Amino acid sequence: MDIKVLGTGCANCKTTIALIEQVAQSKGVPVTLSKVEELRDIMGYGVMSTPGVVIDGKVVHAGGVPSRDKIEKWLAA
Amino acid sequence: MNARVDLPAAREVCPTTTRRLIGEGALLVDVRELDEVAQVAFDVPGTLLMPMSELEQRFAELPRDCQLVLVCTVGERSLKATYFLMYHGYTQVANMEGGIVKWSRKGFPIKGQVPVTASAAGGCCSPASSKSGCC
Repeated sequence: MDIKVLGTGCANCKTTIALIEQVAQSKGVPVTLSKVEELRDIMGYGVMSTPGVVIDGKVVHAGGVPSRDKIEKWLAA
Repeated sequence: MNARVDLPAAREVCPTTTRRLIGEGALLVDVRELDEVAQVAFDVPGTLLMPMSELEQRFAELPRDCQLVLVCTVGERSLKATYFLMYHGYTQVANMEGGIVKWSRKGFPIKGQVPVTASAAGGCCSPASSKSGCC
């Protein structure tokens, strides 16, 4: 599962990455996690509010730190 | 949700070029919030107000058939807004670098006064950094 976190490096973006890492580890789901920090690349997903989360090329979240529940659902899919 | 688009680099223009473009029929689009505009505004007839907080809902009100120059305080939010419009297929968009801070420093017309805090946030051309010779 390829996961990208969109954000220019704010605290919420870092928290989102850490949370996804944590949930993936606890569930034993292998993920490739990367950050997209360039404004042009972020806006290439049409996301105005960050952090944004892209899973396998699809934007699944934009704005605010996603809940643990939400992340668990993404990883279970 | 959203599909990915490979966006080209946004066109960035300085205040002087912006004035020329306005003279040629371009529209200024101010993406600052209304309380910021109440403090200081571009004294340019026909300036459109499209606060960032409303852009996602209202961007379709912006015309696609004329040149738009997006502006804010220092040019950061307007750059984001420029890319947002490009994502949605707008081709005649540009960002004015330096925002109203640089615009007013050039002596171009404004209504009100640029707050000191905004002026200090002018980045490259702020008094503190002018020693570096970047401007």
